[in-house]
Amino acid sequence: MKEVKRKEFYLFSPFLRIFHWIMVTMILILFATGILIAKPLQVMTPEPFLTITSMDLVRDIHFVAAFILCASLILRVYGFAINRGDRLFPRFWEGHFYSETVDVALHYMLLKKEHASYLRNPMARASYAMLYVLLAIEIFTGFAMYFMNKPNGTGAALFGWVNTILGSEMMTHLVHHYVAWFIILFAIGHLYMVVRAEFMEGESEVSSMFSGSKILAHNPKDANEVD
Amino acid sequence: MQQRETLWEAYLRRGLSRRSFLKGCFALTAMMGLSLDKFNDVVEAASGRPLPVVIWIHGHECTGCDESFIRSASPLASDLVLNEIALEYDHLLSAACGEPFEAHLDQTIQNYYGNYILAVEGAVATKMNGAYCMSGGHTFTSLLQKAAAGAAAIIAYGSCSSYGGIQAANPNPTGSAGIEMFVGGKPVIKVPGCPPIPEVMTGVVMHVALFGNLPDLDSDGRPKQFFGNRIHDTCYRRPFFDAGLFAETFDDAGAKAGWCLYKLGCRGPETYSSCGNLRWYQGMSYPIQSGAPCIGCANAHFWDEEPFTDRLPKYGKIGDADKIGIGLGVMATAGVAAHAVASVIQRNSRDKVAEENRHDED
Repeated sequence: MKEVKRKEFYLFSPFLRIFHWIMVTMILILFATGILIAKPLQVMTPEPFLTITSMDLVRDIHFVAAFILCASLILRVYGFAINRGDRLFPRFWEGHFYSETVDVALHYMLLKKEHASYLRNPMARASYAMLYVLLAIEIFTGFAMYFMNKPNGTGAALFGWVNTILGSEMMTHLVHHYVAWFIILFAIGHLYMVVRAEFMEGESEVSSMFSGSKILAHNPKDANEVD
Repeated sequence: MQQRETLWEAYLRRGLSRRSFLKGCFALTAMMGLSLDKFNDVVEAASGRPLPVVIWIHGHECTGCDESFIRSASPLASDLVLNEIALEYDHLLSAACGEPFEAHLDQTIQNYYGNYILAVEGAVATKMNGAYCMSGGHTFTSLLQKAAAGAAAIIAYGSCSSYGGIQAANPNPTGSAGIEMFVGGKPVIKVPGCPPIPEVMTGVVMHVALFGNLPDLDSDGRPKQFFGNRIHDTCYRRPFFDAGLFAETFDDAGAKAGWCLYKLGCRGPETYSSCGNLRWYQGMSYPIQSGAPCIGCANAHFWDEEPFTDRLPKYGKIGDADKIGIGLGVMATAGVAAHAVASVIQRNSRDKVAEENRHDED
């Protein structure tokens, strides 16, 4: 038995954490149903009336999940407003962002033995900003398709221009489908990196998304940002 | 400028009764896609407004739109051309030809300047200063600009004049483009389709002819009454889509049973047209009804959106986006696994060095 002195850094508000887990669930549901919408299952029953491959149900699940995800963004915004630890946008406008990112990247490329510890790693933050861009593309293209069943409605007025910019509505479908795959690729990388940080670097990256706090033996470089 | 007669006067001249005139107006109201409370407006316009002159020019195209137009049943295209509008100039339907015909165009433009309807079929060929499409010794571009300058309204018939058409497909050797940029900023009513539905063509020109104004247009310039719904949302096969009953190939039991053609690349969910409710040729059929998936011929760029018989485009031998996505996912997973192993090795060596250093200090 050894005694280790650890410090607790409160980072993520409950709003961000709840949003995060809603987003995880909804992205999985949206991806699975989305693939089923693009490539519906084959009818495997001997009689058509026995069909269990209801497109209507799959699409409804997809739409409900999409609305829940969009609605939960309000939690993210509220967390952003009330808690400094939730403000994860990469500091592009500060010079140290670039040197720190290079430092982290060199370590991840196994060219350096270690990198300085961060409560919120600059490279991770940049990847989250990218995820929000991908999500925004999905939301805009998604609503552009969804609301165009009523081209004179308010929804179409708000999102119909996306179809015009992309050239045609078919292109909107394709962009929506392709970007979904990029989100899944992000998720694979994200899952690996947080698990790696938790178990190899002692960064409590996974546990903090449940508890909100990081309990660390060392002193992270950006600890002053959340005080 | 000679006095032109109204539709009512045309009925009188032919000895038709007031009752048949009202019946005709009623049919017109339905045909133009208007609601029945507009009936009074139609009667008023038909008895008060003189019928307009139409100049119909053809550019870079196949004249398929005209082939569609002459098959219009309500009203009969012959009725429309001979009695309801004054079609003064049409490359395809005119009996005259040569220099007198071209002189007649100039005369018509001069006589009815600012009052005639210009109907345009076909794209503008922009490359080589327009030399790819000549008409009467001049480029089509100059003909279009000349005719558009004095037009009261411009109707773009077909996907060519609306968006450039099939000849605008990549790599677009003639530089085909829609007419919108070449008419001096005048509003263009787009009636896309390859070809458009005959009744839609006659309906739009009758609307402009009767009321003298543009029909309600969407943001893309298409009349809302004919292009306000997706084919998918008006398709009689939609229940099969909702139930998940799809034809997998063109010759399977599902195709025979008339199930949804979504998996065969049907563009109904992306295409705005009246195919689903008006249908073609007196409501006889439309592509989806005859078992052919919609190719979205009323869409901009439909010609470049291959494949027409599948939802997702394929990229060479690799396959479609889903196959590529699965491949990238597997590669990413393998990559992070390899990275994890390398990271453990790196950390162990790092710890070893740190431990040795500590031993040295001791």
